[in-house]
Amino acid sequence: MFRYVFTRVVTSLALLVLGSILVFCLMRVIPGDPTITKLGGSIREVDEATLAEIRGDLGLDKSLPEQYLEWVGGVVRGDFGSSYFSQFSVTTLITQRFGATLLLAIMAMLIGALIAVPASIAGAIWPNRPLEAALSGFAAVGIAIPTFVIGICLIIVLGVELEWLPTQGYVSFQSDPLGSIRSTLLPAITLGIGVAAATMRILRPSLIDVGSASFVRTATGKGLRRRHVVVRHELPNAAIPAITAAGIIVAHLVGGAVIVEYVFARPGLGTLLVDSVYQRDYGVLQTLVLVAVAAFIATSLVVDVILGLIDPRLRTKAVT
Amino acid sequence: MTNLTATRTGVVLTVSDLVVEIAVPRRPPIRPVRGVSFEVSQGQRLGIVGESGSGKSLTALSLMRLLPPRARIAGGEVLLRGSDLARLSERRMARVRGGRLSMIYQDPMSSLNPLQPIGRQVGEAIVAHESVGRREARDRTVEVLRDVGLPQPERRFDDYPHQFSGGMRQRVMIAMAICTNPDVLIADEPTTALDVTTQARIMELLGRIVEERRMGVILITHDLGLASSFCEDIHVMYGGRIVESGPAPAVLNTPVHPYSEALLESICRLDRDVHRPIAAISGQPPLPHQLPSGCPFHPRCAYAQDVCVEVPPPPIPVDGRVTECHFPLEEARP
Amino acid sequence: MSTAASAAPTEGIERARGDSAPRRLLRRPAAAVAGLVIAILVAVTVGAPVFAPYEPTTLDFLNLFTPPSREHLFGTDELGRDLFTRVLYGGRTSMIVAFTATLIAMAIGVVWGFASALREGWIGEILMRVADTMMAMPVILLGLVLVAAFGASTASMIVILGLLFAPATARIARSALIGELRSEYYLAALSVGASRARIVARELLPNTTPVLLARATLVMAEVIFVEASLSFVGLGVQPPDTSWGTLLQQGYANLYRSYAYPIFPGLVILVAVLALNTLGDNVQKVLDPSRS
Repeated sequence: MFRYVFTRVVTSLALLVLGSILVFCLMRVIPGDPTITKLGGSIREVDEATLAEIRGDLGLDKSLPEQYLEWVGGVVRGDFGSSYFSQFSVTTLITQRFGATLLLAIMAMLIGALIAVPASIAGAIWPNRPLEAALSGFAAVGIAIPTFVIGICLIIVLGVELEWLPTQGYVSFQSDPLGSIRSTLLPAITLGIGVAAATMRILRPSLIDVGSASFVRTATGKGLRRRHVVVRHELPNAAIPAITAAGIIVAHLVGGAVIVEYVFARPGLGTLLVDSVYQRDYGVLQTLVLVAVAAFIATSLVVDVILGLIDPRLRTKAVT
Repeated sequence: MTNLTATRTGVVLTVSDLVVEIAVPRRPPIRPVRGVSFEVSQGQRLGIVGESGSGKSLTALSLMRLLPPRARIAGGEVLLRGSDLARLSERRMARVRGGRLSMIYQDPMSSLNPLQPIGRQVGEAIVAHESVGRREARDRTVEVLRDVGLPQPERRFDDYPHQFSGGMRQRVMIAMAICTNPDVLIADEPTTALDVTTQARIMELLGRIVEERRMGVILITHDLGLASSFCEDIHVMYGGRIVESGPAPAVLNTPVHPYSEALLESICRLDRDVHRPIAAISGQPPLPHQLPSGCPFHPRCAYAQDVCVEVPPPPIPVDGRVTECHFPLEEARP
Repeated sequence: MSTAASAAPTEGIERARGDSAPRRLLRRPAAAVAGLVIAILVAVTVGAPVFAPYEPTTLDFLNLFTPPSREHLFGTDELGRDLFTRVLYGGRTSMIVAFTATLIAMAIGVVWGFASALREGWIGEILMRVADTMMAMPVILLGLVLVAAFGASTASMIVILGLLFAPATARIARSALIGELRSEYYLAALSVGASRARIVARELLPNTTPVLLARATLVMAEVIFVEASLSFVGLGVQPPDTSWGTLLQQGYANLYRSYAYPIFPGLVILVAVLALNTLGDNVQKVLDPSRS
């Protein structure tokens, strides 16, 4: 087990380095001179000297590998450089907004799992037509409907008409945990529905596949009740493809988070991302993308470790 | 092979006129099993032989009520010590399965849950049918694992299926099936997936278990050699019906039904002339939705007459066994 | 008990009877309905100039934010324009962008994937690693980065979306071709002496077409989804061009004045994506009945 985890960690770190190089190159290679952007767009009459000075400030006059190393050096020290636009350092901007996005992501995953897992299990224990149709329908619609449409509908129904929950803004967790959760509930449900639908689309076919596996017949043949067979035998085996696909589900989560934060006007990393695109703020953009890449690699690592715990075939050798 | 003395004392399982129907959307249902009857006694070794499509596996599955979703028992009775298994509620049936009636299957590689240790899986069967504590369940599991010839059962109790070879896994399956001392054990092609040497050992194991525990065994197979060395009585299935049944030596050496005859002719034997062409039976076994009228074998039968096309032959006793043929005896054939 | 057998027996029997794939597809009610819906959607949106009851630019300051009625099926917007017309014209943009982007994604992806499949060795591996890396990022994130690079406009949307979905298509194309390369009939043809290039071009490539078509349908659905999302946050199609996404953005801004404004375009997007997904799923099931 230890060796398994160790190899995974090493691979992850290598991927992280590779990813950072890719991100860096992407940012430098795309057209659009950030110097001009910093000056506010289309100023053509600034003289060479000022331009050169600004370039020097931003460190753009050094060679690419030098710039990369400088950046990496900063990153390792926790200094992500400063935003090209605002006065704040990138680190400040990100830490300010990190909490909101993290809370949203966690709540959305919980809600998604709370919907998807029991629904899939129910579909496996009681295989009747109406339930099947309802679950399939939910999964199909849930994945087809754009997140912002769900958000808008929820705003209309729960926010405006019924006035049960707040529709905008964010209360920080540290200052008011309950209010924080309350202000995140609507966006989390919005995102959670998409997560649930994506999870169900993988979990349900997986349960069906497992349902026709030989060992399920063996278990039923031993005289075990259906509930027992589904929960103890089918589910653990069916969970494996679902957990493996967790990466895709997290991808949905992240993409959706951006949109959801916009819809609900939450000051999170998603809105930061959108703003930095508008402003061509490469300093922030670069770091955000790196954070996203790091998050992925971390997720894959966690997924692999969980799989290693669940599936003994990954830990021990097979005998033929 | 151990000697085949029958130690039967009483009938434990009686199957009468079993019919299995499979629903097909937008089409009439098909009947892959059309009226099958047989009996199993304590300690008896019964064989059901046939090709794929003959209905033998579905017969076995229907005894355990493990039919696939669109299939159901449409007629007949399955009496196990008095209760009709075909009519039991699912709850009651779950108590019978794995308890008084057990089954082992043909694919030991995938018939065990890869995520659980084998000891736990065998113990599960014991716990499901008897109220015993964990300690006792574990002890009994180790005991039965030892009984089926698994070396070092205490150590291997916690190992996972992928750490065992095919033959060992089949032994585990057998352990799982017999740990509750069932009255009847159904073995559906238990050795098809195994190599010949392992096959022999597994069959030997089964023979010993059956004798020691006085279990009735139904061996489902397409392998006539296997059937002849293990079974006391044989039922030959074709097109959803049992076309010939009787003591193994009689059915397999001197068959009376044209299908059984043809089957035997088609076996390659070492004592025959190598230059002789293989006498395969012409044609294909019928698909369940395209069953011939009258006798199911008539399209491929060398002796078929008009009556064979029109009238399904009833079971008649001939020469110490029962067969379904209009012309079972040499003399009556053209 | 499982329901896997419910999909297989009919497919098996229908296939055994020799029914062709398109026939089997049409027999499935879900696929037939989905196909019809898409056909209608494409027809009315691309043919918006013909089908729309009003001009999209017709203003009517006396009828702002009217609810749905006989004259205005979806109601009117903040400038009195007929929403139904705007949805049709918006759909025109969305559909054209989606279709073209899908075409680009398929073109690039197929070449990419086939090249990777045919060139075994490290070139093929590298090509796939790049695809995997691109696929590891969420599409919207990558899309936003590309928008930051290339700017937002209808044209850039087409290119960006095409690029975004090329890697996934490449993977499918590659595994489809590899599947064919491993098939026995290919080995048989080779052993009889046919040249590799000939077999690949004349037998294998055409055999991958159904799978790729199925994938194209699903890709188009996602393209519509992503374009709408990007346009919704203002980083996709730019005014004066309208797409469903921009309509939704304006609807969201005017949420408190008219519920119909955001809901109708939203519903239309849902229907379009759902129909394409259903069609694509059914095509996949017809091609490979072992998948439920």
